[in-house]
Amino acid sequence: MHSIYARVNGVSGLWSTCIMVLLAAVALSSFLFNADPKGNLDIVSLKVFHSKTRRYPYRNEEISFVKFNISTDFTPLFNWNTKQLFVYLEAEYTNAQGVNNTVILWDRIVRRKEQAKIDVVQKDKYRLRDLSGSFRDVLPAQYSLKYNVMPYVGVLSYGEAARTLEPIDFPEAKDSVS
Amino acid sequence: MPALQELVEGRIDFNGQKKADDIVRVVLITSTLLSFVVGFTLSSLKITLSTFALSTVALSLVVLPPWPMFNKHPVKWLPSQEHNPKSKG
Repeated sequence: MHSIYARVNGVSGLWSTCIMVLLAAVALSSFLFNADPKGNLDIVSLKVFHSKTRRYPYRNEEISFVKFNISTDFTPLFNWNTKQLFVYLEAEYTNAQGVNNTVILWDRIVRRKEQAKIDVVQKDKYRLRDLSGSFRDVLPAQYSLKYNVMPYVGVLSYGEAARTLEPIDFPEAKDSVS
Repeated sequence: MPALQELVEGRIDFNGQKKADDIVRVVLITSTLLSFVVGFTLSSLKITLSTFALSTVALSLVVLPPWPMFNKHPVKWLPSQEHNPKSKG
């Protein structure tokens, strides 16, 4: 007749369907929350210095130093299905060869809702260098603060929290002070 | 040995099978809905999954062992007849 194994089979069969439906519902519920936080992004200063390349001792290159001010409240992005946020500052510019570049200057992983209020005045975390080695004749750059929401279940979503109002020119390279 | 086999297999009768299947269907579907609603209102995915897990454990305890309520209608076999090998046909 009906042994315990037949009942285990029956329970687990419907159980797996139910858990799939449950997780799909959780994933779809993310679309109910459409928070779109906006904040402020100011580029405080932008300096370009001559520098030695790291690997080639006789070749020089220019490095840009960006100091910026970010104040944004990302708390609305935290709903029941948000695992963490990836917040990053991007520089977008077209270099002298006409290539569009998008470079990440700074980023932060926000794991908890309590840490989602970001208010920093900082220098770039990653060096802004161009592949050509020079920022001469580079078109003015736009800077934007973007975020990526990582859910527990479901799809990643992206958004933009702030953007500089107008493009900022790269200044002439100075001799390195250090 | 047959007693041990009886214990491990935990058989139930036909009425018990239907009852067990009905319980599984109703409990699993309601607990899916309930855990989603509870987790959504309390906005915690942990609550959702733990509600679902706890109800699964409770369901297994109710449905898997051969409880007496699944064995209330044992199959009644016809009385055994005198076996005569010559009248076979």
